[in-house]
Amino acid sequence: MTESPSDEAAAEPSPLEEFAATVASTVGAARHDVVFDTVKVYVDPSAWIETLRTAKHDLGLVHFSYLSAIDWANDVAVGDPPAEPVEERFEVLAAVADLTDGRLVHFSTSLSKDEPALPTATSVYAGAAWHEREAHEMFDIDFAGHPHLEKLYLPSDFEGHPLKKSYPLLTREVKPWPGTVDVEGMPDEGDEASDEGSDDAAVTTPAGATTENPGR
Amino acid sequence: MNVIVEFFQDNFWALLILKLLIIAGLIPVSGLAIGFGELKLSAKMQSRVGPYFAGGRYGWLQLIADGIKFIQKEDIIPAEADRPVFRWAPALVMASTVGLFIVIPFWPEGSVAGIEFSQGSVRNLDVGIFYALAISSLSTIGVLMAGWSSANKYSLMGGLRAAGQLIAYELPMVLSVIGVVIMAGTMSLQGIVDAQAGFSFFGTVDSATLGHLVPPYMILQFVGLVIFFTAALAEMSRIPFDMPIAESELVTGYLTEYSGFRFLFFFLAEFANMFTMSALAATLFLGGYLGPGVETYPILGPVYLVSKIAVLVFLMIWFRWTFPRFREDQLQNLAWKILVPLGLANIVVTAILKVVV
Amino acid sequence: MTVDQDAFRYLADAAVSVELETEDMTLNIGPQHPSTHGVLRLVAKVDGERVSDVEPAIGYMHRGYEKICEVRTYPQITAIVNRIDWTSGYANEVPLIVAAEKLMELEVPERAQYIRLILTEMARIASHFMFMASFPLELGAATPLMFALRERERVLDLIESVTGGRFHPNFNRIGGVKPAYGSGSTTRKITQDLPAGFFSGSRQAMDAVLATCDEIEDLVAGNEIFLARTKRVGVLPPEIAADYGVTGPNLRASGIRFDLRKVSDYLPYDRFDFVVPIGTMGDSWDRWWVRLEEIRQAARIVQQAIDGVPSGPLQAKVPKIIKVPKGEVYVRAENPKGEMGYYIVSEGGQGPYRLKIRSASFSNISILPWVLEGVLVPDIIAIMGSLDFVLGDVDR
Repeated sequence: MTESPSDEAAAEPSPLEEFAATVASTVGAARHDVVFDTVKVYVDPSAWIETLRTAKHDLGLVHFSYLSAIDWANDVAVGDPPAEPVEERFEVLAAVADLTDGRLVHFSTSLSKDEPALPTATSVYAGAAWHEREAHEMFDIDFAGHPHLEKLYLPSDFEGHPLKKSYPLLTREVKPWPGTVDVEGMPDEGDEASDEGSDDAAVTTPAGATTENPGR
Repeated sequence: MNVIVEFFQDNFWALLILKLLIIAGLIPVSGLAIGFGELKLSAKMQSRVGPYFAGGRYGWLQLIADGIKFIQKEDIIPAEADRPVFRWAPALVMASTVGLFIVIPFWPEGSVAGIEFSQGSVRNLDVGIFYALAISSLSTIGVLMAGWSSANKYSLMGGLRAAGQLIAYELPMVLSVIGVVIMAGTMSLQGIVDAQAGFSFFGTVDSATLGHLVPPYMILQFVGLVIFFTAALAEMSRIPFDMPIAESELVTGYLTEYSGFRFLFFFLAEFANMFTMSALAATLFLGGYLGPGVETYPILGPVYLVSKIAVLVFLMIWFRWTFPRFREDQLQNLAWKILVPLGLANIVVTAILKVVV
Repeated sequence: MTVDQDAFRYLADAAVSVELETEDMTLNIGPQHPSTHGVLRLVAKVDGERVSDVEPAIGYMHRGYEKICEVRTYPQITAIVNRIDWTSGYANEVPLIVAAEKLMELEVPERAQYIRLILTEMARIASHFMFMASFPLELGAATPLMFALRERERVLDLIESVTGGRFHPNFNRIGGVKPAYGSGSTTRKITQDLPAGFFSGSRQAMDAVLATCDEIEDLVAGNEIFLARTKRVGVLPPEIAADYGVTGPNLRASGIRFDLRKVSDYLPYDRFDFVVPIGTMGDSWDRWWVRLEEIRQAARIVQQAIDGVPSGPLQAKVPKIIKVPKGEVYVRAENPKGEMGYYIVSEGGQGPYRLKIRSASFSNISILPWVLEGVLVPDIIAIMGSLDFVLGDVDR
């Protein structure tokens, strides 16, 4: 069931928000928020390992879910740039959870674009090894102290770091990003009781199609 | 007609060659029949139909079509393979199977339509069973040769596993047979069948009067039968003992690099081996060609033997499609720690009872 | 001058040891191999039959989902995302759609949620039957393959009757489910809902599924050889499992009673009565047994859900061009293979700015170097089979 957060009474914090506050205060984080049932706690890169260690040993977040990164950039080679200009950085996310109530916390830290480097989390969670390898090969983030920081998915002679926003998608080089176009319209709903009124008369072009090549 | 019969009866070599030709014909036929039986039976057990199209509705031409396909394939030998060893490995395996056919007694002594038959097998060796076991262990060398010469790590591992397994299960097989030999008093297979024919339960009820319907050694040497059957399954590398082949791990193990006619040799050898091992088990434990009315109508002898073989082959096929496979160390465990002591105990008990009772 | 006899003896011994010392053989298992569930390559160093070190080399199936999804709209992503874990196609779409709906703050109609739940549980049954088929086959038993796949066909037929696709349903839409099993855009009003006979067909299928579970249990569970191959093989302690991020039946087999269906609300599981099976030791046997029980529980859920599907619209009112508002959300779901999650970073466009796909099998096989150390070569196959991963899920 999807409920919007605004429906919850603003006066009393939900259990999730209380939990988020507890986590943030325990690790000494500057900022945290709970949006759409997603808990995010923002920490400094220098406090990364300490945060994870506290999370594992003191907060009961023993289950390592994943570690990944987001490349915040204003000039993008593929897709649309962000709606408003953002601070250019790499945001590394580590999601850890507990195994009793299913509370998952995203620890987020920001790294500079020039020298993205972070100590490895494998000393705390052994499972971070593969995730860090993936983040390294996709974003060129260096994890200091990782036992085996090599490419995971890509062939060893692959050049470049694909998930960076500056890395182009080859098919988009062949056929450039068409920008915002109409998506294929939804068929009308099947309920006889409700009368939609809008038949989809015209066939709209799918996204990514040009006038010369209307369908794929 | 009589001239021909007399010619064969007088001329030893002609008779021998005739018998060998019959055996040579019997091997592919038995292989094909059992192979087809396996295809259809396994299909029945798995709720499917099996071969359907080749040769009419029942698909009986399937294996023949497969054979023709194999024969006309390109002869591929891996570049790094040891060529002479690679070539001779299937020959050795087939030789050990063929060698077993020679001592199995197929029909009783007697006469049919006035023609006297003296021996039930191609050659009735005095050390029949000893020879049979020795010949069947030749295939171990063939398998090792195949595994080594293929120049392929998977084949090598399969070959090594096979060596360990086949050698390990030789011993229980031999031990289980010794019980029968003690009871029958002779090693020749014809003699063992005669002993079963002349057996009398508790000294009073003759096996003959029962129409040979109750095989005496099946009851008295039941432990031996179980051990022999298990060891035979292992000697043939059939599931549950097919670690050397282990399709899902080693991609057919020592057979990986064999294709075409050489693979057909291994393939046929496996099915023919099923026939011969079942024939041995039937002869040793189930009475061979004995059955109701076999003295008066000797022609029924092969019929009975084949039906007993069919039952055992059915059991082998059944086991293959039901059980998963043993791991190598569990396999060795079973052989050395369970089957060998059981076999030894069997021998001791049999010997005591033979003397005492 | 006295000669030290002992020294000579030691020297001789040492010389013989050096000559007899062998290197471990490097055995390459895969990428083309009957048992690796796809193109997984294991570089194993074996000493005879014992494994000393295993390094998985993955990426043979890497399709670049996360990069591609940055240039796709959400309906397009729905169409491709069911190819991540193809044995349970429908289940891959659900957390993505739920995440997008959360960002849009949509209320999904009850009927659509029930249909999603039924199809997800059917996908779970399909995926676990695939496991029931392939795991004994890797151990050598060929017959459960036929029985399990036969039942799987029933479930796939049902899924196909609703969605039009057996493996890649592409049935979810933002706001609900697709209103018909027809295709694409049309110029007439679509009035069809679930196909006729779906409910009765599902009831029959679930009865057959439960009967086959009993059959497979008879055939496989009591088999001495199967027990010998799987008991105490590949024991995964719960702490290691949690550390490496193992989820799903693998985690539950290690004794941790954690199921996202019970704690998370992405679908209305709280209305149904089902048990979460757990194992005791975390060996391969427990992993097999947990999945067998999960099939039974899934069939139970479907039976309960079918009896109570409410009527109503199939999709919430959404605009023709869907633009998901700015925000970040992570939704995770209990997929058959484990926990699958989507982290969507939306900048208000028609597609995500960044989509991180957390797939279950990736974390599940990251334990392979740990769990395969010191086992025998046949056990590699048994353990890998019991982890039940799919390469599409690993490599994305």
